[in-house]
Amino acid sequence: MLPQRAIDELRAAVGADGLITGQSQLQTYECDGLTNFRVLPGAVVLPRNAAEVQAIVSVCARHKIPFVSRGAGTGLSGGALPAAGGVVIGLARMNRILEVDIANRFVVVEPGVINSHVTQRVAAQGYFYAPDPSSQSVCTIGGNVAENSGGAHCLKYGFTVTHTLALEVVLPSGELVQLGSPTLDAPGYDLPGVFVGSEGTLGVATKITLRIVKRPEVVQTLLAAFDSPQAAGQTVSDIIAAGMLPSALEIMDALAIEAAEAAVHAHYPVCGGLLLVELDGPSSEVEALMREALAICRNNGARQIRVAQSDQERALVWKGRKAAFAAMGRISPNYIVQDGVIPRTALPRVLSEIQRMASAVNLRVANVFHAGDGNLHPLVLYDRAIAGQEEIALDLSYRILHLCVDNGGSITGEHGVGKEKQQALGYMFSEPDLQTMQLVRCAFDPENISNPDKVFPRPRLCADKPGPYTPHPLETAGIAEIF
Amino acid sequence: MTAATAITQQDCLARLASIAGRENAHFADDAIAVAAADAHQVAEILRFANSNSIAVTPSGSGTKLGWGNPVAPGIRLDLKRMNTLREHPWQDMTCTVEAGCTWAAMQTELARHGQMVALDPLWPARATVGGVVATNDSGALRLKYGGLRDLIIGMTAVLADGTIAKTGGKVVKNVAGYDLHKLMTGSFGTLGVVTEVNFRLHPVEVHARTWTAVAPDPTPLAAPLRALLDSQMTPSAVQLRARKQECALDIRIAALPACMDIHAANLRNIFGQIELNESSEAAWQAREELFETKGRLVLKVSLLPVDVCPVSLELQQWAAREKIEIDLVSQATGLMTVALSGSLEKAIALIEHLRARLRGSGGSVIALRIPEPLRAGLEPWGCDSNALPLMREIKRRFDPNRILNPGRFVGNI
Repeated sequence: MLPQRAIDELRAAVGADGLITGQSQLQTYECDGLTNFRVLPGAVVLPRNAAEVQAIVSVCARHKIPFVSRGAGTGLSGGALPAAGGVVIGLARMNRILEVDIANRFVVVEPGVINSHVTQRVAAQGYFYAPDPSSQSVCTIGGNVAENSGGAHCLKYGFTVTHTLALEVVLPSGELVQLGSPTLDAPGYDLPGVFVGSEGTLGVATKITLRIVKRPEVVQTLLAAFDSPQAAGQTVSDIIAAGMLPSALEIMDALAIEAAEAAVHAHYPVCGGLLLVELDGPSSEVEALMREALAICRNNGARQIRVAQSDQERALVWKGRKAAFAAMGRISPNYIVQDGVIPRTALPRVLSEIQRMASAVNLRVANVFHAGDGNLHPLVLYDRAIAGQEEIALDLSYRILHLCVDNGGSITGEHGVGKEKQQALGYMFSEPDLQTMQLVRCAFDPENISNPDKVFPRPRLCADKPGPYTPHPLETAGIAEIF
Repeated sequence: MTAATAITQQDCLARLASIAGRENAHFADDAIAVAAADAHQVAEILRFANSNSIAVTPSGSGTKLGWGNPVAPGIRLDLKRMNTLREHPWQDMTCTVEAGCTWAAMQTELARHGQMVALDPLWPARATVGGVVATNDSGALRLKYGGLRDLIIGMTAVLADGTIAKTGGKVVKNVAGYDLHKLMTGSFGTLGVVTEVNFRLHPVEVHARTWTAVAPDPTPLAAPLRALLDSQMTPSAVQLRARKQECALDIRIAALPACMDIHAANLRNIFGQIELNESSEAAWQAREELFETKGRLVLKVSLLPVDVCPVSLELQQWAAREKIEIDLVSQATGLMTVALSGSLEKAIALIEHLRARLRGSGGSVIALRIPEPLRAGLEPWGCDSNALPLMREIKRRFDPNRILNPGRFVGNI
């Protein structure tokens, strides 16, 4: 538990209405989107500005209290899981868009600003903020920065780091520093480059300068039905090999289609592998490329091809895709969401292997993935009520991550390592690689108080524990979709 | 030679020769040059240098060795033997290349499958991948494709203590662990020696055309430039060139041949009364040409996109007033290269003026090429970041004995 003196100092930092210490209220903060890990924090503080964050972190530094910063808590790898008895810094009150500079194409926001609000703010001028995690209607920019969030459209537009020009950061010592600049190539090390995606382990971002992008002239979305996800996967490779860079290339397999249909009625064709291709850009280019994409789909045996004819139709196509995770509840009592990456060309091979591994243990795996960049989201379906099945499912999801690494890929494309995949990071990187990362960690946070015991493997643990999926309260309430 | 211990030059040479082979180690100027064959040799060389506190400067072709503060190394670590494109899984549109490979050699190999690393650095025929990465160089294509931080997906680097560390991977989307490759990029060899780089690739721009508008000064070009960048057109590159009484705006568009006329019409629409003429690819050599005249000071100025035209005009006017020559090439992204000749006093006055002018908007001025007579009076970096202590701490953790390019980087890191 926190020493009373520290609690008094935290109260002085944020005022009585910014401090939560009551047991039942603390429970709201005991987990993020990875709901099977729950830890009760010692206190939650809700700062209103950077000075208050500085004051909070200084208290933590003085007393060597671990702190974890948190936005909307939609993360899927346990990145915002509190340290036991530590401090959670809830940044939801810091939700102002501070500056909009259309001519220079950037905005300056506080960390608690919701992702989609950035686009809403600049939409009238014809701009948008590109990274679009499917929790974008609730997740915050601060969380996106911590996780280097992606989304369906990062194939063309890049990740959060691509769009982060500068950061104001409270270091774990309590110092306030500016990293980067709204202009390119500020002299010195690329500290925004290393801070974005550091999962809250290097400090707390209190101000973020984001790049915004001009909305493309036209967007076209096609759906193509194939007999198998492998055939859809081959089509993806052929589209890329033809020199196209679609804004999104998504695949869903039969199970995922079934679940999404049940949940959203997106009118998807019933098939073994559904491919979604979205092209955007100048209208003349998009029309020509769409013709080429259609031809490639036909050459790969597409049984049915449909081009969304209206914005409403496109929105429905995407709604089905973005609801796919949550929709699993319709076809399975429990499921585990995974997030592996493989080289695109390994798709057919890896998909077959995943099915083989699943059959061998009599489980079903649904596949939803960002095929363009090889980012798989295997959903391992199981029933907790059947004795022993959860362990088998966990083991399978863990082995799928190893399969991704064995095929030259990664254990996470967008969900982060967090609490969930610490051991898997040790499978992907060697000890010298991890020690080198620790040098950065130690330079920023020598006392190891900023989101400690995350990301890096703990030698005392022998196995990873990817979580069985239980809905986040926000999701159950219908406020958020988990992607 | 900065050897703290009593090791002699001869002993040092003998040790390096035993690591890299006798034919790959020799005395060169004040240092010993050693050419490593692979990351393991680099590691052995660095371990040796580290335990004897000998300063090391990694180098490729040496095209940018003069950038930053001067270093007097005991060992010049040559990476040119490590010059192969190790992997090019073209269907995955990624590649792995050794640091000593020249940019052009890499691109030639990649072009066999119609692909490229979408970056146009200086002197591609000589500049090596490692040098381009260490200095974070970029050209006009940055507008469309981003800089090295957006194109590098993984890296192998050797630390001062000989640790061989990998970061990132070979897939484009990957958030596992810290992105050390972003930290290494642009670190001027002060944190480690990059031995191998993984890039994401793009299709070669097969059909591209360049148009140019000219004016005596940048003022009339400011509005169309702004309109172009605010439009839904997607040019690959846009640059402003300015010199005495002469100014040009170049626009490069890559597109399907069938669509090119539509783009041309859209472009003419944006430029209205200002004449646009098709020009040759040679226009894109302009940045490199700024370095050609010997004895000129060359600056890298970073400013906000809207400041490109006004600052260019101010520089033109300043040159006319001070009776010196200024040539500049500015990318639409706000990265400007400025070449000037003149006295030390005038150069310092200009740099100080520019730094003050740009401070409010976060801009910066780095002196890249400094003629010898100006060297003593000029601080090249002008870094006043409050993150400098943090940068120093990172350096201390990575290279506690300060053997890697000591003093070369910002704040004498």
